[in-house]
Amino acid sequence: MSWSGRWAWLWPGASAGEDGDQGSEPDPRFTFANERTFLAWSRTALALVVAGLAIVQLLPPFPGVPAGRHLLGVPLIVLGAVLAVAAYSEWVRNQRALRRGEPLPRSVMPWILAATIAGMAVISAVVLLVSAIR
Amino acid sequence: MTPAPGPPEPPGPGGPPHTGPGGSPHTGPGEPGSPLGGAADDREPEERDAGLARERTALAWTRTAIAFGALGGAVLKVNVVTGLIILAMTPMVWQLGRIARSDSAGAGLSAVSTTRLRLITVSIVVVALLSLVVALVGRSAPGALR
Repeated sequence: MSWSGRWAWLWPGASAGEDGDQGSEPDPRFTFANERTFLAWSRTALALVVAGLAIVQLLPPFPGVPAGRHLLGVPLIVLGAVLAVAAYSEWVRNQRALRRGEPLPRSVMPWILAATIAGMAVISAVVLLVSAIR
Repeated sequence: MTPAPGPPEPPGPGGPPHTGPGGSPHTGPGEPGSPLGGAADDREPEERDAGLARERTALAWTRTAIAFGALGGAVLKVNVVTGLIILAMTPMVWQLGRIARSDSAGAGLSAVSTTRLRLITVSIVVVALLSLVVALVGRSAPGALR
């Protein structure tokens, strides 16, 4: 399998001709809405990166938990990068469905975001408790 | 922050499901010059003209450019070089939004969007990697934003 074929799931093309997906050009309003959704997820990704960076760089160290700031900040930055790529993949899948007149696929991104934020909240609570006890 | 949306609202019963290649918003039934021309156009303004959707999309691009600028400004306080790199991306993002406003009426929207959205995705991944490097090897500065 070629390099492009192996990574096609991650970096698919949405327009006709890139992957043999002809379909028909959907209503421009749907395309615009899909694009706005992508942009909203992109801003969410940027916000996660900012939050992660701010935690690592601007928070004072947690007493007794030397790696506490990195433990909280680095996953947020990584999640921002993952979310950006996932948003593009999601946009491609939605656009393809629109072109083919199929139902829009279900998105796992809200679930990923919610699970990660919940996980980060738990880790934050643990770090704060450990820091307070020591 | 915009929540994840559901499927876009379908056009009303009086509106065409698709406006055809090129996305011309003025070719639906009920429009002068269309096969059904002459009938009263009782569709919502949004259904008659995709310009409002285009405007909202342009505003979304502007917000994204502002987000890049804000991130660049914040990083600038921590690491000057990284902050300047991110700040330099802001005009590019804003320019991509302008392309969205001007070019998308004629060509196939999907084809026009693919390259731009790939660029944005790559930009965000680069920003995240730069931030990761700053977070891991940069000196922390608690209270730098005071």
